[in-house]
Amino acid sequence: MLGFPPPYPLTFTPARIDGAYRASLMKSDKASWLRVTLEVEAELAEAVAEVLSRVISSGIAIESTEIEANAEDEGRAVGPLRVSGYIPVDEELEAKRLKLERGLKALGLIQQVPMPEYSIIEDSNWMEAWKAHYRPLKVGAGLLVLPAWADVETGGRIPIRIDPGMAFGTGVHPTTQLSLALLEKEVRAGASVLDVGCGSGILSIAAAKLGAGKVVGVDIDAKAIENALHNAKLNEVDIRLEAGSLDELRNGAFGIQQADVVVANILATILMRLLAEGLADLVVAGGRLILSGILDEQRAEMLAALEGAQLRMVEERQMGDWLGLLVDRAGNR
Amino acid sequence: MAKKLKAVVTLQIEAGKASPAPPIGPALAGHGINLMGFCKEYNARTSSRMGDVIPAEISVYMDGSFTFVLKSPPAGILLKKAAGIPKGSAEPNKIKVGEVTRAQVREIAELKMKDLNANDVEGAMRQIEGTAHNMGIAVKD
Repeated sequence: MLGFPPPYPLTFTPARIDGAYRASLMKSDKASWLRVTLEVEAELAEAVAEVLSRVISSGIAIESTEIEANAEDEGRAVGPLRVSGYIPVDEELEAKRLKLERGLKALGLIQQVPMPEYSIIEDSNWMEAWKAHYRPLKVGAGLLVLPAWADVETGGRIPIRIDPGMAFGTGVHPTTQLSLALLEKEVRAGASVLDVGCGSGILSIAAAKLGAGKVVGVDIDAKAIENALHNAKLNEVDIRLEAGSLDELRNGAFGIQQADVVVANILATILMRLLAEGLADLVVAGGRLILSGILDEQRAEMLAALEGAQLRMVEERQMGDWLGLLVDRAGNR
Repeated sequence: MAKKLKAVVTLQIEAGKASPAPPIGPALAGHGINLMGFCKEYNARTSSRMGDVIPAEISVYMDGSFTFVLKSPPAGILLKKAAGIPKGSAEPNKIKVGEVTRAQVREIAELKMKDLNANDVEGAMRQIEGTAHNMGIAVKD
């Protein structure tokens, strides 16, 4: 146990919330909160959250401050964490703040705790605020990806409506845009299209809207299929969406074993595995395969996998770090 | 979908009671996450455990989509339960308000093992003991 005084200075100097200002906040129609935030090392986060939770009953948010990216997977959170809680601005605010600071000071006697940062947060329509992040997005020569609620002039483009709920692809990611543009180029009226790893269903929906005669989207994630069915309904397209594996698809479980155009927008590592498992067999002779989700640095590895699967590159497109490949079966054209 | 993480947000909130008010609203709206979608999903998955704090760890991706997993309750809550006390000490350095056994600490450490940044159970136990210490809960052999 450490003695007193602590081995380092610990004096909190909170933002001044003077009486008049507080009175005006309390009189406004909007509820307000005092946000308390501390940026701490990961292992201290739970202890700080515990102190905050003694005066804050609505819950504590702990946010990452930095993501370490890598090519293999989605990346991971590193570095310090930001611990925040919200105290309502009311008669008890000052008492709660003092209690909170006493708790932090006590914690500071055991481990070093940074100063809390305070800010006043006015109520806003959180329910609607997130929607501002989504804008209609022009893709390819004639597609327009837009959120379910947007009411905009499509300017002659084919609208694809996506509800980004618990989403699996909102259309804004470069890999999705590359896939959409290549689909636009390849899908002829009446063509059959297979979407392997369909996620939100955006590519299947686009294929149907581009005039495909038969579209089947498959994903191993049943949740994704739920979301895809919802989006298909939004767009009033007649497509088949199924939860299942590449094997089931190849064995004819979903009423189609080959298609004119096959699209797989996943991740390079998974694409390479699927190619080894016979992804290319899904393409009819003379048909095309669209592969997306490949980072520039994975190109060489991907090309080797294509050769192994006897596929030939037809076209390569790039957007940022991402590549979209259009290939066909060697010797069939 | 090729997804890349943008942020990870952990919300320590009460089971079945997620709503768009703080801290959930401001924490998620800033990342462009569908609040209604999250609250509905969280409440559906936790409604059978009303009254408990069940953290949700939300992975926010670059394209605006997200997923989340439920985590074990915060160490502080598990410690209070183990010690049979309603709250931690206001002056943990001076006043002990309860005690837990080392076996209880190990039990909590094992339960929380996968959520803590610890290499082994001993490391996790040290973190749990640290939290106990901070709350004025003594650890007895």
